Amino acid sequence: MAKKPKIRELLDESSCAHNQTRKAACNVPKPGATTGGCAFEGAQISLFPYADAAHLVHGPMTCLGSSWETRATGTSYAGRDLTQVGFTTDVTINDVVFGGEGKVAEAIDYIMERYRPEAVFVYATCVTALIGDDIDAVCKQASERHGVPMIPVHAPGFVGSKNLGSRLGGEAVLTHLIGTAEPETSTPFDINLIGEYNVTGDMWQYSPLLEELGIRILSTLSGDGRVAAIRTAHRARLNVLVCAKSLVSLTRKMEERFGIPSISLSFYGKRDTSNGLRTIAAALGDADLVARTERLIAREEESLEQRLAPYREFFRGKKAVLNTGGNKTWSIAAALQDLGIEVVATAVKKATEDDRAKAREYLGEKGVLMMNPGAEQAKLIDETGADLLLAGGRSLYTAIKKGIAFADVNQEKKKSYGAYNGLLNLAEDLKNALENPVFKNVARRAPWES
Amino acid sequence: MGVVMKKPVKPLQVNPIKLSAPMGATLAFLGIERCMPLMHGGQGCTSFSKVYFTRHFSEPIAVQTTAVTDVTAILDGGDYNIVEAIKNITTKVDPALIGLFTTGLTETKGDDVRGVASQVDFPLAYVNTPDYEGGLECGWGLAAKAVIEQLVAPTEAIDDDRVLLLPHVSLTSLEVEKIKDFIEAFGFDVLALPDISNSLDGHLGEKQSAISDGGITVEAIRSLAESSLVISVGTSMASAAEALTRKNPFVRHHHFSHLSGLEASDSFAALLLQESGRSEPPPVVERWRKRLQDAMLDSHFSLGQTDFLVCAEPDHLAGLCQSLQEAGGRVRVALSTVNSPQLNSVVADVVQVGDLEDAELLHDRYHLVVGNGHCESLAHRLHKGLLLRGYPNWEHVGHQLRSDVLYEGGCNLLFEAANVATDLREHNR
Repeated sequence: MAKKPKIRELLDESSCAHNQTRKAACNVPKPGATTGGCAFEGAQISLFPYADAAHLVHGPMTCLGSSWETRATGTSYAGRDLTQVGFTTDVTINDVVFGGEGKVAEAIDYIMERYRPEAVFVYATCVTALIGDDIDAVCKQASERHGVPMIPVHAPGFVGSKNLGSRLGGEAVLTHLIGTAEPETSTPFDINLIGEYNVTGDMWQYSPLLEELGIRILSTLSGDGRVAAIRTAHRARLNVLVCAKSLVSLTRKMEERFGIPSISLSFYGKRDTSNGLRTIAAALGDADLVARTERLIAREEESLEQRLAPYREFFRGKKAVLNTGGNKTWSIAAALQDLGIEVVATAVKKATEDDRAKAREYLGEKGVLMMNPGAEQAKLIDETGADLLLAGGRSLYTAIKKGIAFADVNQEKKKSYGAYNGLLNLAEDLKNALENPVFKNVARRAPWES
Repeated sequence: MGVVMKKPVKPLQVNPIKLSAPMGATLAFLGIERCMPLMHGGQGCTSFSKVYFTRHFSEPIAVQTTAVTDVTAILDGGDYNIVEAIKNITTKVDPALIGLFTTGLTETKGDDVRGVASQVDFPLAYVNTPDYEGGLECGWGLAAKAVIEQLVAPTEAIDDDRVLLLPHVSLTSLEVEKIKDFIEAFGFDVLALPDISNSLDGHLGEKQSAISDGGITVEAIRSLAESSLVISVGTSMASAAEALTRKNPFVRHHHFSHLSGLEASDSFAALLLQESGRSEPPPVVERWRKRLQDAMLDSHFSLGQTDFLVCAEPDHLAGLCQSLQEAGGRVRVALSTVNSPQLNSVVADVVQVGDLEDAELLHDRYHLVVGNGHCESLAHRLHKGLLLRGYPNWEHVGHQLRSDVLYEGGCNLLFEAANVATDLREHNR
């Protein structure tokens, strides 16, 4: 069972600049008015990408049955990709009454015999946390039995949001894996990528550039990750936190324990990617590396500009309204601007103060930050003559009514929009949306409508 | 009849096809007009289900959560979370009904939803659906039964023309519509409960509503006991039908295991002929029967040399296997999500409750897989053909408007299966 003090401590993150405005009560979901995912989902997001580990969900069927194979987190692992294999104890009423610890132990043995993973993560869920199954003890014994790490993950859904669950996932890795093995070799340019999950291969858009610069990705949490690598993470020179505020507790603790400094950045859009590479080089503190990085950025930006030229021509004068939440409120806006699209408005209703400030920075004084996008967006489309609405499925009808193009920002991505090359994918998808006559065609009146 | 293995022998599920009862209840309440399904559990239970169905239907899905936390899990008996949730829902939207159902979490802590429901001054139906018992089909069936028990007014009056259809969870929007049309063609007025034919069918609406858009109205539900006939389709719906007969002793109940294939369609048509007192079926029914006969002959050559693995909910499994084998398809393995009395009627060499790891171990027995989107990686890895059926289907669009039932749908299923099998043989040559 997750212990209260630890959760309180994780919610009270000292290295988060906005923490003073957060009260514990804000984290309590409102009955009947809640949409986000739970802590278990957060842990799943942060840990499932380890493809050489088995992920055993100790709970009833909703937890895994509705969620396995939902995230396209690419891996280069040569063995069976365990990120796409669902393991669950599928607890029954019998387990609820008599306890499910025996089942977990048997399930681990079963997995070890047939799949031989490098580790097994065992996830507590609401039901099994409530009945008090001691997965710590089961994991400890199984680890001794099999000689590989067995990691209990205490992020049952009801302790909080996805964000907290990711922190709890990070905690489990810090407690049970980081620092338990030494790397074969070390270089002055070893980094850990924290919070990069390699969804649709986002990480692979920029990892070859790091490699070219001589920067070694020692380990990741957890995109294209390996258990053996994360065990050596304590020897890295730098922690790079990619677009993930949730794991700031982990990087702070690693700084305290192992003296590893950390930086936070994103690889979304041209400007962020270039800045990201610069920030890493600067943090590693090598003058030659900094110079090499500048040369690489110049080369990549020029190459990108050449390939973007036909798109820029197409996007010239095009305006977009963006209705999304979180860091997408500004990160997508920045990427759109990189393509030469003017972002006339972005929704900030579901954004933190930090996100709102960034949105203002990117959109400038003229840009509209929508606090009530549902009501505002239609009017703004009229007023600004926007050509494109980027929003969730519920806003589709607004675009059709206005006869403008629509792109679903929440749709599961099939290809990466990350880094320099990803921007070309985004450009292609948006060009296709803007050229598609479907939005005007479906808006035709039926012959029986006046 | 082959071997039936109903008990899993493993301590876990690997690559499950089973889905939970609360997810089934969610779908059932979405088949009621202007309903807000309210899942009594942690926020994740709802969030996962919402994302899952949003991707499956490519539509926004209305469902809310009582958002039980670790603290309220211990300190609250459900009263606070449920009453607060209903208050918060009704200040924002105006549902005609709230469909309240439990989860593993709230059943483990032992909430008395019946007691809480009695304190709520709002139209509500409640049902117990712990996700550690039964599965998707079961949750849907229990929700339908609860709605009948709690909302239908008892009566002794009968409207001779009225028929109530109780479809199982795996019937698509178009399948429910086709069955209703079929019954209507014999001169009846027909309602379905739940009715996803116009709620989850994917239609462009003026407003993407935060509550269900389409389905049977609450008003219509209240007078369902006036139906002269109730027709249940699928074993999971039998007890809901019996609940209706307790509301009115004059309601007559007819049960069908499924409505797939020539034989089942014939029995269904025979019943409707008898009940309507007609001597001949509507011409369209006759035309489709002849087409199905021809479709069976056209597809038999391909199907007759194809070994199948079929994975589905029990009621769906029975129909798919029957339809395929009528035209010579050899169903080697029928893999069921959960146990059900229905499994005794499934036509296959092996009928087994299991997961896709079990399916993988039996890989040398079949060429073609009929199953949900999770079967894709298995089919790809083992070079099998694939016919996507059931929940979830995240990759393809349009599945809610595909029908495999009755004479007409039977043609679609057999043609598609035969063509996929032919392509597979071409490809592997």
